[in-house]
Amino acid sequence: MTGRSAGAPGSAGSVAGAGVDREVAAWAEEVGSDGPVAAVGSRTRWGLGGRLASGTRLVSAPVGVVEHRPEEMTVRVRAGTPVAELHAELAASGQRSALPERGGTVGGALAVGESDLCALGRGPVRDAVLQVRYVSADGRVVTGGGPTVKNVSGYDLPRLLVGSLGTIGLIAEVLLRTQPVPAVGTWLTSLGVDPWAAREVLYRPAAILWDGTSVWARIEGHPDDVAAERSALGRLGRWEVVEGPPPLPVERWSLPPGELRTRPAAECGPGWIAEVGVGVVHAARSQPPRPVPAAVAELHRRVKHGFDPAGRLAPGRSVLAGAPGAGPVGGGR
Amino acid sequence: MNLGLGDGLHSCVQCGLCLPHCPTWRVTGDESFSPRGRIALMRAVQEGGAPVTDDVADSWDTCVLCRGCETACPSGVPFGELMEQTRDTLAAAGRITPLWERAALRCLAHPGLLRAGTRVAAVAQRVGLVPRRLGLPRLPLRPEPMRASGSDVWLFTGCVMDAWQRDVHLATQRVLEAAGYGVRPTGDRAPCCGALHRHAGLVGETRSLAERMVEALSGDAPVLVDSAGCGAAIESYGRLLGTPEAEALSARTYDVQEWLAANLERLPRIEADARLHERVAVQDPCHLRHVQRAHQATRVVLAPYVDELVELDDEGLCCGAGGAYSMLHPDLAGAVRERKLAAIGRAAPDVVASANPGCSMHLAAAGVRVAHPMSLVWEALSATR
Amino acid sequence: MGSVPAPDDALVSELRSILGPDGLRVDSAERALVARDASVFDRGRSGPVCFPRSADQVRAVVLAAVRHGRAVVPRGAGTGLAGGAVPLGAPVVVALTRMNRILEVDVGARVAWVEPGVVNLDLTRHLRPLGFHFAPDPSSQQACTIGGNVANNSGGPHCLAYGVTTSHVLAVEVVLPDGEVALLGGLDPEPVGYDLRGAFVGGEGTLGIATRIAVRITPDPKAVRTLLLAFDSTVDAAETVGAVIAAGIVPAALEVMDRRITEAVERYVHAGYPTDAAAVLLAEVDGAPGEVGTGAERIADIGRAHGAVSVRVAADDTERAALWKGRKTAFGAVAQIAPNYYLHDTVVPRHALAEVLEEVYAIAARHDLVVVNVFHAGDGNLHPLLVFDRREPGIMERVLAAGSEIVSASLAAGGALSGEHGIGVEKRDYMPLMFGPDDLDHQNRLRRAFDPDCRANPGKVLPVGHSCADIQALERVPTGVWG
Repeated sequence: MTGRSAGAPGSAGSVAGAGVDREVAAWAEEVGSDGPVAAVGSRTRWGLGGRLASGTRLVSAPVGVVEHRPEEMTVRVRAGTPVAELHAELAASGQRSALPERGGTVGGALAVGESDLCALGRGPVRDAVLQVRYVSADGRVVTGGGPTVKNVSGYDLPRLLVGSLGTIGLIAEVLLRTQPVPAVGTWLTSLGVDPWAAREVLYRPAAILWDGTSVWARIEGHPDDVAAERSALGRLGRWEVVEGPPPLPVERWSLPPGELRTRPAAECGPGWIAEVGVGVVHAARSQPPRPVPAAVAELHRRVKHGFDPAGRLAPGRSVLAGAPGAGPVGGGR
Repeated sequence: MNLGLGDGLHSCVQCGLCLPHCPTWRVTGDESFSPRGRIALMRAVQEGGAPVTDDVADSWDTCVLCRGCETACPSGVPFGELMEQTRDTLAAAGRITPLWERAALRCLAHPGLLRAGTRVAAVAQRVGLVPRRLGLPRLPLRPEPMRASGSDVWLFTGCVMDAWQRDVHLATQRVLEAAGYGVRPTGDRAPCCGALHRHAGLVGETRSLAERMVEALSGDAPVLVDSAGCGAAIESYGRLLGTPEAEALSARTYDVQEWLAANLERLPRIEADARLHERVAVQDPCHLRHVQRAHQATRVVLAPYVDELVELDDEGLCCGAGGAYSMLHPDLAGAVRERKLAAIGRAAPDVVASANPGCSMHLAAAGVRVAHPMSLVWEALSATR
Repeated sequence: MGSVPAPDDALVSELRSILGPDGLRVDSAERALVARDASVFDRGRSGPVCFPRSADQVRAVVLAAVRHGRAVVPRGAGTGLAGGAVPLGAPVVVALTRMNRILEVDVGARVAWVEPGVVNLDLTRHLRPLGFHFAPDPSSQQACTIGGNVANNSGGPHCLAYGVTTSHVLAVEVVLPDGEVALLGGLDPEPVGYDLRGAFVGGEGTLGIATRIAVRITPDPKAVRTLLLAFDSTVDAAETVGAVIAAGIVPAALEVMDRRITEAVERYVHAGYPTDAAAVLLAEVDGAPGEVGTGAERIADIGRAHGAVSVRVAADDTERAALWKGRKTAFGAVAQIAPNYYLHDTVVPRHALAEVLEEVYAIAARHDLVVVNVFHAGDGNLHPLLVFDRREPGIMERVLAAGSEIVSASLAAGGALSGEHGIGVEKRDYMPLMFGPDDLDHQNRLRRAFDPDCRANPGKVLPVGHSCADIQALERVPTGVWG
């Protein structure tokens, strides 16, 4: 296993810091320690956090699945790898990850931090990362988290990196937790059923979507359980099997799941589709910037400054972009 | 200070699993009022030479001795023994149990004195001089006498309970008779078990009361006890005195519910519709649950005679009565009782069954309707006769 | 025990006016007690001990400490095993045990707001009538607090399927080390900004003090099957675990206990654990009935194929509860073998379990020590307990040396330093074995973003030379400060 070759560059004696592979090391060289720089993947969510300052050099993370160990339920993959490619490889062993397949790369999906449509069943993206290797603002390879499925050694850098939009480090390689692909899975839809009633009767649905009139449910698992869940749903109304979820509008809202009954209809504009039990709402209209209290904004400033004192990582972009009360969080330029 | 503690002191690994089972930790959140803290202080004093400051003495003095920590302890720390030994040492040094308390405890062994005092209190009660919050049951002016009906079993009547809750003893005797036992009440020949003296660290008094009991209750007849605290005390005589006679007495002492549960077939059956139409919550006295570990018997014996038995959801946490504890530490005892009252509130029973006089008085003082399990069984049996 | 403050000590009078006479203790006995947790580390020093009842009081206490230049250390039930709650350098200790209210339960939204002092199992008991529970179930769950779970990112047997604490914490209201109050995370799935909630969980009290926590509540499984498999060798048990996971089964829990610990546990719980087996594997599958039935059968089959000499399925909830009570009280039960124990909770890849276990036994034998193993096998989380009597001269050195070798063996197998107990003070200086200087430097940057002045639980997590961690200085009480 790659993680076991001791005495790798940059981190003599430590194990997790060891085994930085050649491609990651080469990418760190490319990122260097000077001048504005940002990582680019497939640009599926490129606009998030604001426009990059002009003159920002774009770099692409290395590609490829480094090691998949089905019996450990982990996979080590370089950040430039398309999620679809990763999932194709995992599928060969009956596994997958919680990362969304939306045409993007692993690194992009993690930097953005948006979960899969089936987050209700598969968990949020932030829970999928066990270990992260990223290139720091000064061009070094930093390892956070641990090589095993469970680890509380030290601070949780992987979670900090997820959703950080490349502003505190450029994700180079990650160790992801994998999960078994369920034996059976199906999408069902019904008109007029109460989605909360569906949520109530389903034990572990992978997704429940609602647009105010129709409900879509994804149920997965053991064939007997899926059959039982289907008949439980059947008691609520007529359901029809469909190929997949409905087409989703492009904007993404994040609301407390307890508020989905009323808020999407009142705020999200026509055509919204809500993830019941999760709180994500897909809509044509974008979510107004959410206010950030001063103390939280200050913490963000200190985090950004601590990891990127010169503000060279993704200048112009901020995780609090536009948030009322946030002030400038992006680095020094 | 050498507290005289043995190896048991070293069986604690400080895991802290006892904390939530300790009533005083539950209401203070303070390590000093936890079993683990109390043991750590014993170690600090006995082995580390730390002084017994007032705070240290208070930590030990505020233990209810419910021994809930013992059932929770996977290491088998003999906490009760450690605490009793510590209190013995402190009492001998005059650090705990003030003279007035010692004098009051001495009265318990004098039935005449106790009865006279009770009559005075009964009169005072009738002219409204005794506040309800003290939780005294309605004291009889002229208690119904207890008479032997045979010699199959002893019924231990004790001190305060006999003076204040004679009705419970009478109900217990009648239930036993209904099961076909000839009952001999112990009465003045064995006036007090010494449990309260033990709690107060008065080991000398405890021993002499125990010796008196062993002598008075010789023979082979089982000794049945309807006070959980007294039962636990008598069952510990073997360890306390170390004589074969004491061991034998301990071995043939039973909680009355425990005895009846093992002989359930001897109790008259009643029709389902003759059961007491009550929702009964069982409150486990600590010395029944954690020391005698016979608390399930209460349920077995009650079940055929009441409509519904409900459990409290507090895992048998102490109610704060603790013998004389509720009088000596009223604030802590009151706070501990609040938790019990909340648990009773959630179970919403018509009546709470408690097999210990101290608990029942402590709870009654807060307005809870409490009855001894034997009183409930007798109520059901007598209605069908 | 240290000195007692002068009656007119300015910090003490400020704290007393914040907390009232009942909310502060400065006596030497109390301070000696809160200088310890459940670990063997005994060089802690506590300053005043505060018992706030509200977030406002916590904030006022932190501000008072800031004004007086004192550090602050939060404390729950003190069940930690790495010295995380042990105060170093006589800081102000903030015991959160009186902030123990369950504030709100919203079954529809599957969230509960609790104060940090709520005991883990109390929340689950509270949720039981509603058909829900709080998934993280550390072995100390009957005593440990949810605030402590957040600080340690606690695990537990059922985290194999359900994930550790961080997966169940949605939002945390925090009093930061400078006294500012911030709500980290939120009830919505993708709160704006960095995942500071995720960063805070597992911060071991070095990033601030949680005063209110929103946790996810989990519906009780529809079906549960608990199996007890007995093996003639610990290696067989470990190999069964690997095979079960490789077969694509994700059990709710997979726990292994070796013979010595099983004997001790059985003496306490009388759950019918076989005391003649070299190792037992406690496996639980839960979820929907179909997956549970199939999963249980397959685990039994895999076990038999790997040499299980007996497979027993718990007949009912009572039997199941008794088996789990045994597993969860195992650490305490070791006192039946010897009065002290010392353990690491390293994690190794599942494929290396058997090999590392053998190494652990060999290390103990080399140091002439007794080791018992009871661990979360499903996620490779070892708990080798070195049991000893610290009154034996020179034994502590042997124990620490053996512990160190166990850590090295685990890390060499591609493992992690701690799976769930945290780093605290005990494992702090092992951190460089797992992380390089740059890695530690970045962890330090995160810590300093929350706590630029090193006021929060100094001396923890990061090794000497990194941050707020000069233990030599912390073991002495700063000049002019009583403690």
